[in-house]
Amino acid sequence: MPADVSVIDLAKHYRVHEKDAGLKGSLRAFFARRYRTVKAVDGVSFSLAPGERVGFLGPNGAGKTTTLKVLSGLLHPTSGEIQVLGHTPHRRESAFLRRFTLVMGQKQQLLWDLPAVETFLINKAVYEIPAEAYAQTLKELDDLLELGPLLRKQVRKLSLGERMKCELAAALLHRPQVLLLDEPTIGLDVTMQVRIRDFIAEYNARHGATVILTSHYMADVTALCERVIVIDKGHLLYDGDFRSLAERLAPYKVVKLRLPHPALGERLADFGELVSNDGLNAVLRVPRARAGETAARLLGQIEVDDVTFEDPPVEDVIRDVFAGGLEARA
Amino acid sequence: MSLVRKYASYAKASWAGMLEYRAQILLWMLGSAILVVMLMVWTGVSEDNGGQVGGFSTVDFTLYYMIGLIVRNLTAVWASWELDFAIREGTLSPQLLRPINPIHNHIAANWVEKSLRLAIVVPLAVLVIALTPGAATALASSATVGRIALAALAVFGAWVIVFFADYLIGMTAFWTSQTSAFIQGWYGLRVVLSGTAAPVQLFPAALQGALHWLPFRYMLSFPLEILLGKVDSPQVIEGLLIQAAWGLFFMALCAIVWRIAIRSYSAVGA
Repeated sequence: MPADVSVIDLAKHYRVHEKDAGLKGSLRAFFARRYRTVKAVDGVSFSLAPGERVGFLGPNGAGKTTTLKVLSGLLHPTSGEIQVLGHTPHRRESAFLRRFTLVMGQKQQLLWDLPAVETFLINKAVYEIPAEAYAQTLKELDDLLELGPLLRKQVRKLSLGERMKCELAAALLHRPQVLLLDEPTIGLDVTMQVRIRDFIAEYNARHGATVILTSHYMADVTALCERVIVIDKGHLLYDGDFRSLAERLAPYKVVKLRLPHPALGERLADFGELVSNDGLNAVLRVPRARAGETAARLLGQIEVDDVTFEDPPVEDVIRDVFAGGLEARA
Repeated sequence: MSLVRKYASYAKASWAGMLEYRAQILLWMLGSAILVVMLMVWTGVSEDNGGQVGGFSTVDFTLYYMIGLIVRNLTAVWASWELDFAIREGTLSPQLLRPINPIHNHIAANWVEKSLRLAIVVPLAVLVIALTPGAATALASSATVGRIALAALAVFGAWVIVFFADYLIGMTAFWTSQTSAFIQGWYGLRVVLSGTAAPVQLFPAALQGALHWLPFRYMLSFPLEILLGKVDSPQVIEGLLIQAAWGLFFMALCAIVWRIAIRSYSAVGA
């Protein structure tokens, strides 16, 4: 099956001008602008099969939103081959625009002063949705999201969560095949996050739509995506199965030791970074590359009751990535 | 057919939105109060001159400015402000995701707004004309069916120029944050040169000659000249051709600049 989304060597560089603070800085910037190139995305490749649900992870400024905007045609790539549903997004062909959607948690398409249903009717006309299909889709979205009375309330009077439900519905009326979701659960409470998440899973299951999701909430990604793509500073760090992310990405293993008697703590520090030690139970981090050798040395020199070598929890690895603490490449 | 349906859906939503902001629109309409003020100025001048200034009688001024008030409201456009806002605040991006050029939304909204404006200015103009001795009779004799039809065509031509020139100025927001200054500057030129501050016929001959070829006269004055019988048939035809040329020029320029603008918008970040 051909890929729904294919990105080969995408780069997006911006030229931003720099200005020093104060009047002097402003004057200097007025007469001689200094520019700096920011590599928002730099050589990223991946492809998505139809119906896949992929989580896009990375710290702020990693290039996630930039990538989604390139995929949606809002941004012109600096270089690279990008295909979405067989179209080159930035050409913004009508046939392409009708088949995908981009939902940005922090931007909205709903008309602020009117009930959401007014925006729905505009989309119905603009996307040329036949009356029966519109009624059917709206009913389905209503069942899944429980829109009911929300549709007739002014958008500005909706809560954040209610508004997001309406935003999603507005974005899906034309039954897009590719869903680009940028932080769709941002700012929502946990219950609403779960609702939105379940809805995305259900929509994907019913229509076989391809979903790319970025989120700051690990739970969104763990619940929805088997596959994750991690980018940082514009580079791809990891692309693959969610569960083996730690194995591939974390530069260390976690060694858990049960000791027969205390007072071995200081000696343990010779083998790696001592994370915790309560006397009888100690946790060490050892470099992944030297895990085997360290194990042999440790067992040869220290008497232990039990020892395990584990990958760190995914959450910890991701937290490290987000904190910019991981330089290792997969 | 589907474009008509799209316009209808935009129009319906703008109508509902407009009712939310009716007070604001009334305030915007105060902008056209300048025509009422100019009418008072010129009738004052004309009374002092024995009822006549450069071939314009008090009745002429009344008809010119009151029908001008209607034309001005039929051709009022705010798209540049909205476009400037959408570009700076990033609300243009969601609009660009839709398979339709956002300009259609602006046009539909602009046409809907006219209904509210007319509901206010037409009764006002009718009242003033009815209360000015001789004005109604003068209008009845100059406004023949043929002239009304041609003037209506010229009003549409005026709207085309005003709208696309305004949209063009709004698009400068893709490159600069000084758009409001351009809007104000253009508005200033229009007030002086389109026949708002004074009928074009009262200008010095050299300036009138230049205005014959510039777009400004065709944004307000020209349809009034037709209706009030200030231009003869060959002049009407020539004027309509010049007006059409300017309208097409601004439309074409809009289309070209839009393509370049979207490329650059998407190059620097949306």
